[in-house]
Amino acid sequence: MRKLQIAALVLLAVLAIVFCSMEAGPLRHLQTGLLGILSPISRSGSAVKDSIGSLGKDLMTLDQLQAEYDRVLAENRRLRAENGGLRDLQQENAHLREVLGYRERSSFRLVPAAVVGHDSGAWWSTLRINRGTRDGITPDMPVITDKGLIGKTTAVSDNLSEVLLVTDENCKVAAKVEGTKEQGICTGTRSPGGELQLTFLSKLADLQPGQKVYTAGVSGGIFPSGIALGTVKSFRARELDGMAVLEPSADSGGNEEVFVITGAK
Amino acid sequence: MNRILLFVILSILLPVSQALQDLLPPIPPFQERLQLLPIVFAFGVLALPLLPALWFALLTALVQGLVLLQVQDGQVEIGLTLPVVFFLGWAFLLQMTSESTQGMRWELHAFGSALVTVSMIAGQFLTLCIKRGGFPVDWSVLMRIVVPSAAALLIAPLLYFALRFLVPIAPDDSGDRKPAGFGV
Repeated sequence: MRKLQIAALVLLAVLAIVFCSMEAGPLRHLQTGLLGILSPISRSGSAVKDSIGSLGKDLMTLDQLQAEYDRVLAENRRLRAENGGLRDLQQENAHLREVLGYRERSSFRLVPAAVVGHDSGAWWSTLRINRGTRDGITPDMPVITDKGLIGKTTAVSDNLSEVLLVTDENCKVAAKVEGTKEQGICTGTRSPGGELQLTFLSKLADLQPGQKVYTAGVSGGIFPSGIALGTVKSFRARELDGMAVLEPSADSGGNEEVFVITGAK
Repeated sequence: MNRILLFVILSILLPVSQALQDLLPPIPPFQERLQLLPIVFAFGVLALPLLPALWFALLTALVQGLVLLQVQDGQVEIGLTLPVVFFLGWAFLLQMTSESTQGMRWELHAFGSALVTVSMIAGQFLTLCIKRGGFPVDWSVLMRIVVPSAAALLIAPLLYFALRFLVPIAPDDSGDRKPAGFGV
């Protein structure tokens, strides 16, 4: 018995050392595996939560009417999200038609997804959606709603994906300000508050509250151009650059339906 | 045999509690999220003998570390080292406290859960401050640390009695220490 305990202790120490020395790649694989384990719990838990939440509604309406309403609502959100992304393309398209002649631009291919859990971690802003590699989702795909950009996919398992929200400090998005030539980097903040920061602006940029901010769509980036990010709340010039505080366009906390941009149509 | 069953059930409860805490709505009016994992962890390390408790701590570190794993430009922000050291350290501390208080009690579990939660959230914040730079402490940051810890203190007794009801705890045939010291 004593030998068995020593063996178990040695094995524990070896495993602890192995885990501690793991690099990003193997850790990502382990994380994907854990997401696979969490997937059935999260999905069934979310379904139960939805059932409980919709109990009152079901009592008031017919099931078929409810299903139809949900379908139409989802379709409406998808079209609005698509439309929001096309706004910038439309302007660019009109400009290019004038200057260079017609060039066909394609719109986005969207995969609808339901939010099955918000990360309870205190300092990270992530959520989980019920789509994964089986639905064509891969890491670093933009996630949007009808209101604007939510974030990007990070870890992806068969049928569950983690989305890093734009409100997270680690999510950096190239952004431009409506009606100006100002461009900067939009990130979240560590302090919980859900605001965004737009940095690396010109010190002389005279941004006014209410101005819209969109993704800039830099080459080699993962976010397409023209997706709404937020609205300017305040602006201040710092020592080396200008910084604006933004109110996010999409409320990541309240969204239960999102869309993943998997590519162009 | 009972100890093995207890370990297995608690190990299953780890990912379940993680998924559950992600599903639960934020605590009003502060909109902070409840942390169930530290409560289950505290119960596990107090209920199990030392060696299984250490294994349980390693499992908790694995779940917690992987759930919070963020890879930026191919670099891991917080790997598994800190969670492993943190949970193994707390497993030792809670085991020693359990020894000195002659077994596990609901008060010990409640305070253990709150202390693990507060040190976990504050430790994560400090690590991020060191890694990313800056030290943006304000009222909202303090609330984010204090509210889940206070919630853990209040909820832990409920989970303690629920877990005691669900998990078959009984003295083991081998005559080894624990969990004979369970008390209310």
